[in-house]
Amino acid sequence: MKDPKGISSGPENPQRRTFLIALIAGMGGFIGFILGGSGLYYFLSPALRGKKKEWVDLGPLHNFKEGQPVKADYLQRKRDGWEVIDSSGVVWVLKEKENYVVFDSHCSHLGCPYNWDSAKEQFVCPCHGGIFGKDGRVVAGPPPRPLDRIPVKTENGSLFIMLEEKA
Amino acid sequence: MKEILDWLDERTGWRKLKEVILDRHIPKGVDWRYTLGSVTLFFFVLQVVTGILLGMHYSPSPDHAYDSVKYLTNEVPMGKLLRGLHKWGATGMVVSVFLHMLRVFFMGAYKYPREVTWFSGVFLFFLVIGFGFTGYLLPWDQKAYWATTVGAHMVEQVPYLGDALAKIMKGGSDLGTVTLTRFYAIHVLVFPALTLLFMAVHLFLVVWHGISAPPEKDPTLSDKDPDWKARLKSRYAELKAQGKSFWPYIIFKDTVAVTLVFLIVLGVALWKGAELEDLANPTDSSYNPRPEWYFLSVFQLLKYFPGKLEAFAIVLLPLIVVSILFLLPFIDKGPKRHPGDRKWLVLAGWMSILGVVFFTVQGARSPLTNPVMEQNPLVMQGKRIFTDLNCLYCHTLNGRGGSVGPVLDLVAMRRDKNWLGAHFRNPKKLTPGTKMPNFNLLDGEVESLVAYMSTLGATTYSAEAPRLFEDNCASCHKFQGTGEFIAVDLSHIGRARDAGYLAAYIKDPVKMNPDAAMGGYADQLTPEQILDLANYLYQKGK
Repeated sequence: MKDPKGISSGPENPQRRTFLIALIAGMGGFIGFILGGSGLYYFLSPALRGKKKEWVDLGPLHNFKEGQPVKADYLQRKRDGWEVIDSSGVVWVLKEKENYVVFDSHCSHLGCPYNWDSAKEQFVCPCHGGIFGKDGRVVAGPPPRPLDRIPVKTENGSLFIMLEEKA
Repeated sequence: MKEILDWLDERTGWRKLKEVILDRHIPKGVDWRYTLGSVTLFFFVLQVVTGILLGMHYSPSPDHAYDSVKYLTNEVPMGKLLRGLHKWGATGMVVSVFLHMLRVFFMGAYKYPREVTWFSGVFLFFLVIGFGFTGYLLPWDQKAYWATTVGAHMVEQVPYLGDALAKIMKGGSDLGTVTLTRFYAIHVLVFPALTLLFMAVHLFLVVWHGISAPPEKDPTLSDKDPDWKARLKSRYAELKAQGKSFWPYIIFKDTVAVTLVFLIVLGVALWKGAELEDLANPTDSSYNPRPEWYFLSVFQLLKYFPGKLEAFAIVLLPLIVVSILFLLPFIDKGPKRHPGDRKWLVLAGWMSILGVVFFTVQGARSPLTNPVMEQNPLVMQGKRIFTDLNCLYCHTLNGRGGSVGPVLDLVAMRRDKNWLGAHFRNPKKLTPGTKMPNFNLLDGEVESLVAYMSTLGATTYSAEAPRLFEDNCASCHKFQGTGEFIAVDLSHIGRARDAGYLAAYIKDPVKMNPDAAMGGYADQLTPEQILDLANYLYQKGK
């Protein structure tokens, strides 16, 4: 290429050009890999974190009635991100022949808070019409599985449930 | 494929854009010194990416800021690295924007027709400084708190308006909650938006005028010549025609430079990380406030302006600097760009650089007036939990608190760490019938509380302590009837220093006092012996 003053702009070497482009891509890729990789790991890390569990006190055994589901609340001191919080929660406890079953208080469909209908002897979810039997099995409605059960143990006259520690 | 590209071209005009931006020719002679702008741009991108990620685990309130930064640094995977990159990227950006400005200054590249490019650049330079100032308050550690306190007081010195300005900056009369949210909003919302705006103008003008060619010495060129602008333009066209296209030749150089600085910043981030000092403590009078290194020159400069003159230094000097930077293209006009043709200006430039470097070095070397105290982070954490749980509602410490539980002043003399730990985990199990509630404390909380409680009243010394003094200290120091009076008489040392200070001094005197002639005893004595000795000197010397 010649410009009006007759100065050449220098020959373009296609091989050199391709080589430079490859180097640019390599270096750019390296920076992108380090920055993107660490950033992605950082961003996705909540999904990769292991879950720790611990026993939480639900109170003395005499609080629970035979054959009748009882709502029980608990206080769990746990880490929530950079905070330590006293988180309260609630579960349903069913005592049958000295056997304790504890249900998570959220409907297994989409997590609505269901309630015990003592007339019908059924758990009724207020959202999409999910109905569960006393033992937690699905009686009607959209729930895909029975009510979630939480591991329990009794110790020194108190009931304990195993909950996830939120970290 | 071609059809899609054609379709896009009709609607976006990308072929024209590619031609104008990527295929444009860059004048001959554009070398490595011209990569500084791209390096600064890269740092901006790096700061945006790492900043967004840090923002995901940051809470801008004095109650949470410190803990959230600590959490993201220590517990979120890669958090330490990303925070390190953000911190050192900030340092890198200050350096690169400064060097970029110097390159433009010495080459006279701010001259016709690039004056507006220069103005937008000066705005960007001050934005980078502003990012630094607002950014390092955010972790809410000691450095953050005290450096910003000093900054706010500097603003207060402005005659007449100072008080109002400082209040606007702090969002009230105290440095606190509102200050932090204001700084946060400015750091992550206002400044990035302004930076994008000025960067758009800056980069558009760089493409519009083309990158300035290296200055040439041309004695025939002068502003007396009515045609000098046209001559400049035609010479620029010549050089441009001889140069290579931006893509890939110039971008290659930029990429190499960017990769090099990235490797440096990455290395420093991995090696040094980003430190987090102790939680901001407005009552701490033993802290040595020091600004970030790029403010050290200003910090040092203030020492030379006592009393009323300080207002001059705080208002007039920055005003002069800002004015000079903005007026530069009007002070130095005409076609002559070569440093050899602008000797006085170049000399003034060098003087300014030397001044900044000199004051920065002086500032960095200025001795720390307060001794550097090592504080046990566990103890500090324990103190916070002690306050958060309102322990003083039942217990008394230093004469304040309730009377339900035992007085805690000398608790460490009565209870050892095992007892305290078991007590905090389950008070009723250890002491049946106690009124102390079970707080269900987490392991870390128990550990911190035990560490704090163990410091209360643990300042007694053993029977071995006087002998330790005889063996190690008495050959130089006098202490209440024993020892030689060669070095300082320690008889009343307890009135001036506490046991913690004395222990740190015995361990490493030079750290506490750079002029100390005494050698450290970290090798001769065990940590327990050093503490014992310190307690002895403190208790008996009170």
